[in-house]
Amino acid sequence: MNVRALLAAFALLAADPAAAKPWQGDAGAGPLQFVAVQADAKFTGSFKTYDVRFDFDPAKPAAGRLDVTVTLATTDTADEERDAILKSAEFFWTERHPQAKFHATKFRRSGKRWRADGELTLRGVTQPAAVLFTLVEKPQILGMKGDATIRRLPFGVGQGEWQSTEWIGDEVVVRFDLKLKPATP
Amino acid sequence: MPVRNTNERYGSVAQALHWAIVVLLIVQFTLGKIADDLPPGLDRLITLARHKSFGITILALAVIRLLWRLFNRPPPLPPMPGWQRVAAHLSHGGLYALLFAMPLTGWLMSSAHNYPVSWFGLVQLPDLVAPDRGLSHSLEDVHELLSNVLLGFAALHVLAALKHQFIDRDNLLLRMLPWRGR
Repeated sequence: MNVRALLAAFALLAADPAAAKPWQGDAGAGPLQFVAVQADAKFTGSFKTYDVRFDFDPAKPAAGRLDVTVTLATTDTADEERDAILKSAEFFWTERHPQAKFHATKFRRSGKRWRADGELTLRGVTQPAAVLFTLVEKPQILGMKGDATIRRLPFGVGQGEWQSTEWIGDEVVVRFDLKLKPATP
Repeated sequence: MPVRNTNERYGSVAQALHWAIVVLLIVQFTLGKIADDLPPGLDRLITLARHKSFGITILALAVIRLLWRLFNRPPPLPPMPGWQRVAAHLSHGGLYALLFAMPLTGWLMSSAHNYPVSWFGLVQLPDLVAPDRGLSHSLEDVHELLSNVLLGFAALHVLAALKHQFIDRDNLLLRMLPWRGR
């Protein structure tokens, strides 16, 4: 047997301690989408660039920590006009606030789902937010799938005429289906 | 006025469907034109939402109208030269085809644009195709082109009806009107 392969296998085992494991994911990890209601019709958009860092051990949730950074200029709704409006000062104001950030340190399990309570910073406003998700751990991969329901108006997303919830729904569902990998230090 | 078509004229159902679609088409051309001239914004979103709702209404009425016509043949055409007979059938066929093609290209275009269609806020229609920028722009061109074709066919239809009524004096127009002729 190849000695180097054997050593590599041991190295992998050694890098798998029971402590809170750091996981990470970027654009290749899977879709990060949002579902919004416009003129009574639901549509789906996505964020192409984001970064997830998740230090978590289901056995020790108190030590967990989740950090998500989304680059809002990569908002994609398959329509240039709408993308431009979303990036403008009327919505995300990406020029002034290029990123949205979610940070959570409180985790609790309810059934098969985990709930992370934390704070979302969007368009310069920080508000409490919760993310619900399931975890599926496989060797070298942590599947993280779930959603968060966010109200856009408290963040000032949608100014002026766009505050009308008759035509643009206040609630937006962010959903994700990610395959996180062990974080490289 | 009888509900069903007779040998002399269209019945009340066929007439109601015909004139409801005429009114809706005028509304559609107006909304389409208004939306075209508006900058991207809430007003255009609202105008297009209504345009789509009326468009789906026309599609539903066109289906009902075609079914009604299949089970309730229209009154025969008055005596006329063979070429006029052919022209009448072609233009009616064209108008029917456009009553389907306009809403369907609009619906396809909405799906490709990732602006799904809601019928007056009551029902969200399924998307016919996945979002696709290139396709959405092509469909937009087709939708606009067909709207001009429809305008042409409608003008021909109106002129032909007026010619029959006032030049040939064969009372053809009265077949599609509720009041009694003469």
